[in-house]
Amino acid sequence: MPRFLPRFLLGLALGLAAGLLYGWVIQPVEYVDTAPNTLDAQYRTDYVLMVSETYGAERDLGRAQLRLASLGPEPPLEKVEAAILYAVEHGSSSDDLATLNRLAVDLRALSPPTQAQSS
Amino acid sequence: MRSSDWFPWILGVGVGLLAGVFYAWRVNPVSYTQTDPTSLRADFRMDYLALIASAHAGTGDLGRAQARLAVFGAEAIGETLGALAQQRLASGYPEAEARALAGLAAALGERPSGLPLSTTGTPGATPVRPITSTPRPVRTPQATSTRALTPTPGAPFQLTRQQLLCEAEAVPPRLQVQVLDASGRGVPAMEIRIIWDQGSDRFFTGLKPELGAGYADFTLQPGFAYTVELPGSSALVTGLELETCDAGQGGTFDGSWLLVFSQPAR
Repeated sequence: MPRFLPRFLLGLALGLAAGLLYGWVIQPVEYVDTAPNTLDAQYRTDYVLMVSETYGAERDLGRAQLRLASLGPEPPLEKVEAAILYAVEHGSSSDDLATLNRLAVDLRALSPPTQAQSS
Repeated sequence: MRSSDWFPWILGVGVGLLAGVFYAWRVNPVSYTQTDPTSLRADFRMDYLALIASAHAGTGDLGRAQARLAVFGAEAIGETLGALAQQRLASGYPEAEARALAGLAAALGERPSGLPLSTTGTPGATPVRPITSTPRPVRTPQATSTRALTPTPGAPFQLTRQQLLCEAEAVPPRLQVQVLDASGRGVPAMEIRIIWDQGSDRFFTGLKPELGAGYADFTLQPGFAYTVELPGSSALVTGLELETCDAGQGGTFDGSWLLVFSQPAR
């Protein structure tokens, strides 16, 4: 028994190392067939910017909302606000911010007004 | 080493592997986040490309569109966009989207000047299916796009050339259209309306960028007389019918028609 445990533990460590080597190096995970809601923040922001740029030309708010729906179940306005936040943090141009903001303003106008809580 | 000496090793490795897999699959499974557009499922990837094209149509910023497309790394992205435009138009997607894709495809795949018009296309180029290959029954009129790509400002287009082409016996006879601006450059995303006695259809320039930004074609059927119109201009061609060409040794085949619409130089 005193000889069993060290050998077992060493084998365990080797097994774990082999598993991680296989999973991370030899056969790493490949991301395929993903949906737009898994996109990195940089691409999500660019996606929202593209929707905003298209909206600026088409002025079709319904279609803009439809396009934003691909990014996940959150309300469209939240997605645009998140994109604005990212754009501000990463020093995007004022033109891009204005483009995003225009869509946010129009989406905000659609949203039902927040009702005051009465006690 | 006795066989019983191997037992702890084998047991340890086995348990370790199982533990690793359990950890990777159950305790801390892979979450698909921070992906890039190349990993998107095919239909989402096409939507992404269409969105790039729509944004380009809205802003006219080709450099930004190219930067966005660069992540896909495809060499023949212009052809992909052109094919996608046709596919989307045929599938009933908004016309504006197809026009945006065609416009971006044309902007990316500019044809060198002097490339001969040919129904066989550029050697080695992937054949692209025309928007409509056969005349179809009359459809309910569709609302026209609220926003169109603006052609080069200038005088209205005029028909400057109408020619029967007897050079391509192998392909079905086509109406080939070239729309050129005043400087002789092809104009993409121009709508061409074609009417025959049993119906009408529309097709657009720029969907085959390998044949030129201002190129479009339509398969002609025997027994019909076609009228071709370039909306927004006085250019109108009527009574266009298939005509036979001499194939030699007594044989004949149906020729294609070439129509060139140009803006007069100022």
